[in-house]
Amino acid sequence: MPAPLFRPRQNDAHGELFNRILERVHQDLPEAVALAVSVHTKHDGMTVLATRGIGSGYLDAQAGGLGGPLAVAVDHQVPVVSLDLWSDDRWPDLTLEAVQSRLAVHEDLAAVEGAMAVPGVWRADETVVLSCLLSVPANATTVTTLIGYEQLITAALVTSAAEGDTGIADMLAVLQSRGAIEQAKGAIMGCLGCDAESAWSTLRRASHESNVKLRVLAVALVEHIGGAPAEQPGSSAPIQPDERAQKAARLLWAVLTHAPRPATTAQPATAEH
Amino acid sequence: MTQARFSVTRPTAGHPAVVAVSGDIDLANVDEFKDAMAKACNGSAALTVDLTGVSYCDSAAVRALFALAATTELSMIVRPSGHITTLLAISGLDRVADVVRTE
Repeated sequence: MPAPLFRPRQNDAHGELFNRILERVHQDLPEAVALAVSVHTKHDGMTVLATRGIGSGYLDAQAGGLGGPLAVAVDHQVPVVSLDLWSDDRWPDLTLEAVQSRLAVHEDLAAVEGAMAVPGVWRADETVVLSCLLSVPANATTVTTLIGYEQLITAALVTSAAEGDTGIADMLAVLQSRGAIEQAKGAIMGCLGCDAESAWSTLRRASHESNVKLRVLAVALVEHIGGAPAEQPGSSAPIQPDERAQKAARLLWAVLTHAPRPATTAQPATAEH
Repeated sequence: MTQARFSVTRPTAGHPAVVAVSGDIDLANVDEFKDAMAKACNGSAALTVDLTGVSYCDSAAVRALFALAATTELSMIVRPSGHITTLLAISGLDRVADVVRTE
């Protein structure tokens, strides 16, 4: 059961909310020459929700195949920091010239040195990323400052996407289940010897095939493996998987633990980088 | 269900404290991880974190390590290759803090 597509409405009160958050980030990071919030899905690519400073063409260039901190943050779900964006060996294709040649509108990127991207999974299959370009090299302090705003951005998305009580409950459930989803991914990675990406696909596929919501399946799986209720920090109404979810979790675990590698019904394990 | 163990070697003259971590670190127990590092660091200028015994960690651990690198001179010991080593390299943690790969 695919989640209904969230199309953020721009230029309204919510867009204003993101702009105000970026304004605050900018106060904490005065060397920032660009700040942006974008949402990424596997199938629909990138939606830019808000920008501050130079435009968003550099984000399009990264998402469009040149790679870069944004792309790495989305793919690997970790904060990414670069001391010198244009000469970083993690994304050799992302050069100042390559980006500028793709820009529809001129952006003053020559002064850019450091770059950062901080991802947050705010619902099952969507990643929100807070991106930043600096006129100085990035360092541990600047990235920690940016990381500190991820929760605020995620909370703002929850507010912005929620339409009516169901929407809000739905979003809150996602936030509550984040820990369980990470744990379930970890368990699958350990079991299949695969990377986070494959573990994620496995969980998604099992959710789809059993018609059990991914976050509920994740909680059920964690409870099945651990033999105890899953930890759902900060949750006033923890997810309680029903019989169907428990059955799907048992089946998934049986497949993972008994099938020869690579599992036939699971995503094949991929090699470590 | 996430389990990790922390063993701390106190600082000696010329050598910072070392926290050796083993097990898994994720959102469920990252606070324990942070506490262990904060206690070992105890306001000193440098800290070494030995991650060679960590079998899995995720974004929560990477964030905690970035935060630590912002306040102290952080060195991390990792295996020559593997999940954790890859994670430190792709995130750029190895560019803002010292990463030592064991032979």
